[in-house]
Amino acid sequence: MSRELRPVPINLRNTKIIPFEFQYFEPESLEEALQLLRTYGSEAKILAGGTDLLVKMKIRAVEPKYVINIKLIRELRYVRADRDSVRIGALTTWRDLEKSDLIREEVPALYDAVKSMGSLQIRNMATVGGNLCNASPAADSAPPLLVHEAKIKLTSIEGTREIPITEFFTGPGMTVMKPYELLHEIIIPKRKGGSSFIKVSRVAMDLAIASAATYVEVEDNTIKDVKIALGSVAPRPIRARKCEAALIGKKVDEGVLREIASLVAGEISPIDDVRGSAWYRREVSKVLVYDSLIKSLERVRR
Amino acid sequence: MIWVVKITFKVNGQPITLDVKPNELLINVLRDKLKLTGTKYVCGIGECGACTVLLDGEPILSCLTLAVDVNGKEVTTIEGISKNDELSEVQEAFMEEGAIQCGYCIPGFIIMSEYLLRINQKPTEEEIKEYLKGNLCRCTGYVNIIRAVKRASESRTTKTG
Amino acid sequence: MVDKVSFINSKTLRKDAFVKVRGLLKFTNDLEVPGMLIGRIVRSPYAFADIKSFDVSEAMRLGAVVITPDDVPQKPFNPRLVSVNEVTFKDHYVLTRKPRYVGDPIAAVAAPTEELAQKAAESIKFEVERVYEPVLDPFKAMSVESPLIHEKIMKGDEWIEVKNNVAATLNYVEGDVDKAFREADVVIERFFKTGKRYHMQLEPKAVLCVPEADDKITIYTTTQTIHNTRILIHQIFGIPLSKINVVKVPIGGSFGSSIQTNVLVPIAVALCLKARKPVKLTYTREEDMLDHSNFTFNFRIKIGAKKDGTLVGAEFENILDVGAHQIQPYPLLGTSLGWFVSLYKWRNIRYIGKAVYTNKVPGCALRGYGAPEVTWAVEVIMDELAEKLGIDPVDLRLKNYVGLGDVFWGQGPTVRSVIKSDGVPELLTKGKELIGWESRGRPEDKKGRFRRGIGVGRGFHTSGAGGPISGEVIDYSGAVLRLNEDGTLEYITALQDHGGGTLDAHVKIIAEELGVPPELISLATATTENTPYDVCTHASRGTYVGGEAARRAAQLVKQKIFEYATRLLNRVVNPEALKIRYDEEVKQTIIYVEGSPDIKITLKDLARTAWQRNWGTIAAIVSYRATSAPPSFTVYYVEVEVDTWTGKVRPVRVVAGADVGTPINRDLVEGQLHGGFAMAWGMAFIEDTPYNPETGELLSRGLITDYKIPTAQDIPRVEDFKVILANTYEPTGPFGAKGLGEAAMNPAVGAIANAVYNAIGVRIYELPMTPDKLLKAIKEKEGD
Repeated sequence: MSRELRPVPINLRNTKIIPFEFQYFEPESLEEALQLLRTYGSEAKILAGGTDLLVKMKIRAVEPKYVINIKLIRELRYVRADRDSVRIGALTTWRDLEKSDLIREEVPALYDAVKSMGSLQIRNMATVGGNLCNASPAADSAPPLLVHEAKIKLTSIEGTREIPITEFFTGPGMTVMKPYELLHEIIIPKRKGGSSFIKVSRVAMDLAIASAATYVEVEDNTIKDVKIALGSVAPRPIRARKCEAALIGKKVDEGVLREIASLVAGEISPIDDVRGSAWYRREVSKVLVYDSLIKSLERVRR
Repeated sequence: MIWVVKITFKVNGQPITLDVKPNELLINVLRDKLKLTGTKYVCGIGECGACTVLLDGEPILSCLTLAVDVNGKEVTTIEGISKNDELSEVQEAFMEEGAIQCGYCIPGFIIMSEYLLRINQKPTEEEIKEYLKGNLCRCTGYVNIIRAVKRASESRTTKTG
Repeated sequence: MVDKVSFINSKTLRKDAFVKVRGLLKFTNDLEVPGMLIGRIVRSPYAFADIKSFDVSEAMRLGAVVITPDDVPQKPFNPRLVSVNEVTFKDHYVLTRKPRYVGDPIAAVAAPTEELAQKAAESIKFEVERVYEPVLDPFKAMSVESPLIHEKIMKGDEWIEVKNNVAATLNYVEGDVDKAFREADVVIERFFKTGKRYHMQLEPKAVLCVPEADDKITIYTTTQTIHNTRILIHQIFGIPLSKINVVKVPIGGSFGSSIQTNVLVPIAVALCLKARKPVKLTYTREEDMLDHSNFTFNFRIKIGAKKDGTLVGAEFENILDVGAHQIQPYPLLGTSLGWFVSLYKWRNIRYIGKAVYTNKVPGCALRGYGAPEVTWAVEVIMDELAEKLGIDPVDLRLKNYVGLGDVFWGQGPTVRSVIKSDGVPELLTKGKELIGWESRGRPEDKKGRFRRGIGVGRGFHTSGAGGPISGEVIDYSGAVLRLNEDGTLEYITALQDHGGGTLDAHVKIIAEELGVPPELISLATATTENTPYDVCTHASRGTYVGGEAARRAAQLVKQKIFEYATRLLNRVVNPEALKIRYDEEVKQTIIYVEGSPDIKITLKDLARTAWQRNWGTIAAIVSYRATSAPPSFTVYYVEVEVDTWTGKVRPVRVVAGADVGTPINRDLVEGQLHGGFAMAWGMAFIEDTPYNPETGELLSRGLITDYKIPTAQDIPRVEDFKVILANTYEPTGPFGAKGLGEAAMNPAVGAIANAVYNAIGVRIYELPMTPDKLLKAIKEKEGD
């Protein structure tokens, strides 16, 4: 044999159970959780909604020695607004967002993403923080937060730091977070433009083959500001800055939008996988950006 | 540090106290320890809805819920939907509309439909589909299930109003 | 007949509904017995390898019961026992030292809990002697460079050598095809390829095997056939049939995935025999996907016709990718041909069928046993022919289809009969009006991003695999019916209900024959001990074959009821003077004399009297073989909308037409069509199980995150799904009934594909028609 054929770990997977034991903590305060993270760091996993972590544990993609269940830290579950921004606590569920008028009005792209994400059961369980920490290139939450230029507040025993979401993801399943840090809050600046999120998937309840979010501001029928982000078309959710630059100052015209939206193909680096081909992702990204732009424009507060 | 946890919760109105290990899943506690086998394992990864139960009235997936997480809460399983053998409108409607074939997915569908009609008395077809999209059925093509939810909604609204 | 209550025409609730809606019905996975161990299978992590040795010491130390290939009989078997022995190809072993796909069972353990069993299974180590590159393509598998996946297998009781990985072949010629093509005005040749679909029945396979005190074993399992399960265990382990009892347990869908006895059953039996304790073994979903999926079909189809639309000849080449083991692809080579020749009168035929091994999950039947695939290809090529000839596709079908009075052999060359009921013209004509066929337009005239199209598909499935001559397929059924001392009835059949309501149909048939309301007829627990042989619930035979067995049992019971009634009703000359019906006024079944209203007795009184006077129990036991397997015809008209920018397709409207003869339960018939369409939609656009070319593992890893089936949001609006039933009567069926389960799906994919063409002028010859493929084709066509 020319190459070594390696065994597939099929005997480790068992989705009926969590096939290994771990030490378990249930901190009731943020302080306590941070202390535990400091102590156990990279050998620990944070359990929030459980919809990603428990699946990974069942298929042995991760096998933490310690599990820190933060669900009892109620202070991390909120959606609130101050003068300049909308703030979402990390433990806020997708269902909470779905029920929030604030999100629907202030961050419509995120509201679209909520509606397209998973089943109602999943939305009831999965948290915003979990979805971001999981850092899937297909995470539906990412493109909306990218176009709204959200910031992520990370907290550790040493203090807090705020990271622009554009710098948060570093690769598939990877973020800038340190093992002892906790995703605390998402801060979304209030803006006056319109935004939207669209995805294409195999069936109604599914991961995205590709997704796009856009944010637009218009003045005198001219695009004054625009942000474009895509999911599932690169190792991490990305902004399409060349496309954005090309759109600024253009008249709102469907032909022009379509032409410029197609520039997005040059800014992404999709792969072939079981959900779709790189070719398809490239093609459909142009359409998603266009469709999302149209939808965002409809939502612009004139 | 915890290896075994004593949890107290209610299942279908009955108070229960149990020792569980942190890696035990709610679905297995319900099925194996409490013998409530109406809650079904189908995919184990939250993609099919067959293990749906209500936790404090909200639908969740028992295959992705640690048993320790229901401490102090109230769980409703399919066995708790009919009171004293009296079927709910949803259960009646599923029977009447021929919404049941093999029946393996049905507990999950009934739990979700109960929840939907509790928060939305007269859902549109689009809303029914949106609420049920996380529950897979391979037999019925969903048509009679959707009809059943509509029928249950109608019989509820005529009763109440 | 006028005053008779017809149960068949009235709506009844299915018997199991009340327990199903409350979650109280026990499926195999829900069963438990004291002292039960939990089993777990150790599977090959390689697609193709030779295992030298096992180290099970750690598993033993954990207290697990362990079996390796050394602990099980090493005689090959085929888990599917529907064919006669001479044409049954045997290459399975309970556990193997030469795994042939990622997931092939190599060892197993049993321990008191799932957690412990998991731990023990993980601890088993094995040394491999050699690992081969996986062979995943059937055409590559047939080339000389490819290693032989199996070297020697058994056909019947003979060892045979496998050449070029060809597992089985079947060729057939009728007439002179070459001459026909020379004389044809139009000849079309196309290549088609399908996906390898997974059944995704909701219930993962499960088994509970219990050793009994008297040396017997009792088996509870997810099976479509309790009798063949018993026979297979007998064949493998040499246990006499009388020492094995298989209990029929409700099954959470199957769609063909348990016509064969799933390999977890012999594994559990081996564990149970070694442990001398009950063993329960249930698959995870990911294991279930490693246990079974459909075959992959590669077709070359060439057809010829005259200008007036008369077909003159067809050539059909069928290369089946069967995966690593044979779950009887040989009869599938026969049925594929059967579906093909029974769709249209080709007049001259040449068929080449080959089944080829690859290092993939073993392929087995999936609702239709090749008919959805063959019908898709034929309905597409017929549409193309119609277009070339300038003939309306519906007219071309009406002109050439195999119908009333024609010889029919859907189940393959050895199962022939003559068609006696045919609703095709009615369904095609009615459906055409309902969908608005005439205004569907032509693809070249359609513009804009979202384009709609209408397509037609027509097909059939057999009702069972019976026939006048004993061919290569075993097909007979049985029924037991007993009148209780209070006038209620107990019905027992080995025939499994997959969920479609087959047994409710049986109950209604008995009700109709005896004038006893369905509520008074109970479905008693069936086991191999208390039922006559039934081959299997497959081939849509449940209502037609099993239902007729039930009717005949009811007829026998009725005769005895009349004999007893003759004794009780003084002036009646003989049993032939009597009739039986349900009397709405007294709410009783009565035995009476026509025209003499005073001479009557209720069934209840009769049953009680027979008991009190020591006349003996009225009961019947029937074994029934049908002498035909009539086609249930189905027609689909489908309207779709294609987003030409993304390649996504949406169902807009469906008209599903079925000729099931007499519909025993109309609502259940409709349910089959709804489900059939949804499954067809998945087959058309979504479903496939691709493999990692390097490791040979499923790309989905068995997680349904990457095996999608349609959801509630992927189907048309309820009011846009119309069902029409043909007004026909099948003289050989119980009260005129035929089967439906598979016919409900067979032609739908063809209709969908033709609708896509009508919308955008593009044909995709490789399923599933993913947005990827569609968009590429649209762009090519429009020169973008």
